[in-house]
Amino acid sequence: MSVLTSLLAASPGDPTNPGGGLGGATSTVTNTFTAPHVEYRALMPMLVVFGAATVGILIEAFLPRTRRYWPQVGVSLAGVVVAFCFVVANHGMAETTAADAVSVDGVTLFLQGTILLLALLALLLVAERGTGLVDLDAFTAQGATTPGSGGERAADAAGLRTTEVFPLMLFSVGGMLLFPAANDLLTSFVALEVLSLPLYLLCGLARRRRLLSQEAAMKYFLLGAFSSAFFLYGVALLYGYAGSVRLSDIATAITSSPHSDVLVLAGVALLAVGLLFKVGAVPFHAWTPDVYQGAPTPITAFMAAATKVAAFGALLRITYVALPGLRWDWRPVLWGVAILTMLVGAILAITQRDIKRMLAYSAILNAGYILLGVISTTSKGVSSTLFYLAAYGFATIGAFAVVTLVRESVRGGSDSGDGGEEDSVTVGGEATDLSAWAGLGRRSPLLAACFTVFMLAFAGIPLTSGFTGKFALFTAAIDGGAWPLVIVGVIASAAAAFFYVRVIVLMYFSEPLREQGAGPIVVVPSPMTTVALTVTVALTIALGVLPQMALDLADKAAYFVQ
Amino acid sequence: MNPDNYLFLSALLFTIGAFGVLIRRNAIVVFMCVELMLNAVNLTLVTFSRMHGDLTGQVIAFFTMVVAAAEVVVGLAIIVSVFRTRRSASVDDANLLKY
Amino acid sequence: MTTTRALGSTTGVEITFILIGLLTFGAAVLTVTVRNLVHAALWLVVALGGLAGCYLLLAAEFVAWVQVLIYVGAVAVLLLFGLMLTRAPIGRTTELDSGNRWAAAVVGLATAGVLVSVIGDAVRTTWFDPRQAVVNGTAKAVGTSLFRYWVLPFELLSVLLLAALVGAIVLSRRDVSDDVDAAEGTPRAQATEAEA
Repeated sequence: MSVLTSLLAASPGDPTNPGGGLGGATSTVTNTFTAPHVEYRALMPMLVVFGAATVGILIEAFLPRTRRYWPQVGVSLAGVVVAFCFVVANHGMAETTAADAVSVDGVTLFLQGTILLLALLALLLVAERGTGLVDLDAFTAQGATTPGSGGERAADAAGLRTTEVFPLMLFSVGGMLLFPAANDLLTSFVALEVLSLPLYLLCGLARRRRLLSQEAAMKYFLLGAFSSAFFLYGVALLYGYAGSVRLSDIATAITSSPHSDVLVLAGVALLAVGLLFKVGAVPFHAWTPDVYQGAPTPITAFMAAATKVAAFGALLRITYVALPGLRWDWRPVLWGVAILTMLVGAILAITQRDIKRMLAYSAILNAGYILLGVISTTSKGVSSTLFYLAAYGFATIGAFAVVTLVRESVRGGSDSGDGGEEDSVTVGGEATDLSAWAGLGRRSPLLAACFTVFMLAFAGIPLTSGFTGKFALFTAAIDGGAWPLVIVGVIASAAAAFFYVRVIVLMYFSEPLREQGAGPIVVVPSPMTTVALTVTVALTIALGVLPQMALDLADKAAYFVQ
Repeated sequence: MNPDNYLFLSALLFTIGAFGVLIRRNAIVVFMCVELMLNAVNLTLVTFSRMHGDLTGQVIAFFTMVVAAAEVVVGLAIIVSVFRTRRSASVDDANLLKY
Repeated sequence: MTTTRALGSTTGVEITFILIGLLTFGAAVLTVTVRNLVHAALWLVVALGGLAGCYLLLAAEFVAWVQVLIYVGAVAVLLLFGLMLTRAPIGRTTELDSGNRWAAAVVGLATAGVLVSVIGDAVRTTWFDPRQAVVNGTAKAVGTSLFRYWVLPFELLSVLLLAALVGAIVLSRRDVSDDVDAAEGTPRAQATEAEA
């Protein structure tokens, strides 16, 4: 009897039931089970990525350690490319599937495509192992060894490699593909965890400066778990309010419920804590510089670009699909967050002496700009957000790719594992201190030129993607009535231009450091980083010079399915 | 007695957990406090599930538990690896990243 | 059987809730204040067990048993192992709390006040009436709901567990141990052996 009542209560006849829209199940109660319809084509991008990750784990299980690298690289790249092809093939789709857990629409597809392209470029950086002359592996040979111990040197010398980073990264990519597509808060939560857990681990696997890296992983993990508890409490309160966690049901409950809004406001606030933590907006940004600095640089590039895309995608969907009825309540709060984010990002970036920390504060600043698009609550706002996310993502990956190539030189070969102990100078870790970048333009004009392009794009100089993106965001915000924000944005841009240009000046017009006798050196990467760098530079310029195609694509993609 | 009291209990537990995260210094204890927060959320979910008369809340609570279990695995792996390096699991000692 | 009657009349359930609630609350407070790490972990176990009791009172049996299995069984044991592995001080220690105790207390009290008043307000507006039928969260009912409405997130959980598993192995597996003699020349041979 109790089973029967529970089935009755859970049956789709109940209007508050999450599966209310399901066609297959009827309200006549039987004990037969009705399987939900799953449109596999819509899920293919995620399935392919998760499938590739699983193949990667099988490779880990069955191939000997020294022969895993190339199969892993091949499988991961192929998985991401095939998934991208499915995203392209799905264009124009507008449906929800898997019992309404996932909605595949323009925004989803655009963001999934962006995430996959960014992941592809980041994978190239992760796969970088140097050319044989220099070893540029960014990951520790063995995560379990104590830094500085004999074991670490032995593992390095034995040629051990942490190839598990490829499947872990693919798991994270899969979570990112789902996060902006999640049509209910439970799927959102699980996707959030799937994208975060592998990232926590990847942060702790840097090869150089491992103490820093492990602390970054711990900090990121503890704060991430803390913030996801807030997210979940928000989910619980919204469920209590609406009786469902489907975004469309929550929207209906908000517009139709005559009851007090306090519960839903508290729920949204807690939910926002979790989301704003992931995008690195200001009251919740404290982890960003530390984690970006400590993580292996290819992972930092991946996090800075792709996590931001996924998290903003989820923020867009939740605000535009579930909360349009509360627009007048959440917009002022996001106004405050956006203003703080832009100002704090710009001001603290100026004070940084470390290039990775500077880029981290620049990431915070850019999160502030992107919030402008979310706040404008127009379809123009959505499309400009989509475009800016793509433009910002490519430039970020490129900038971090440059960071991986500027290395410290170590005299006497005391540094472990470079195999060049007979040489007098070996390649050390990344030279992230800004002073080491002085005079880079003379020693390596090409690399300095690449970095200049990214800095100009971040500063929003015309003919770069950053200008087009900012222009689109600011006009959308003005259309949405948020002109005071645009003023703050322009002021922040001006302040930011100062420190971006300062790096350029440093590279071209300063004398290189020679006192220590071992200044930084620029290493020659394998074709992987070269390709990633070339593509990001080309896209950054192309999106600035000929942005119309991409803008049109973003315009066409700016629709949600409920 | 109505289920509201469960909601109050849950809110108090959540706050206690958050308070613990702020004051504790040992990473594992901080993590225990996060677990307490997640459990408080579960109580809210199950209570709302009872109030609404549907099972969604219980299903979400189940999901939370599995996610928390996965988090424990990853979290302890990270914390133990940090400890191996530094011989301390104190959050405050992990301060290379401060400036 | 309506919820109102069931909850309004059964004084047994009421009394049980008050007892379990107080126990859980007290255990939670002790978890975050006690000066002994292992005691903190054990009090956490008590709090988690108390919550399982609350779930039972709320007719969520499946969740209650999962709580006992996963939290009281697995998670608590893992946490205790974690404390042992990191050689946490077993006895009382003054190093457990950071200095910002009072600031945290103020923040905590403020948060508690806000949350309780929010929920109190929500409950006063009484949109839950009429209370709906009690749903017994048996394994069968939860399972049916799980596989009818939540298939995708459920499958995703398996991915999550796999990722956590692989990640934990990456961080802890040793092919080459720390004790390898770091003297030049020797490690290479040993490491190659270990790799096989």
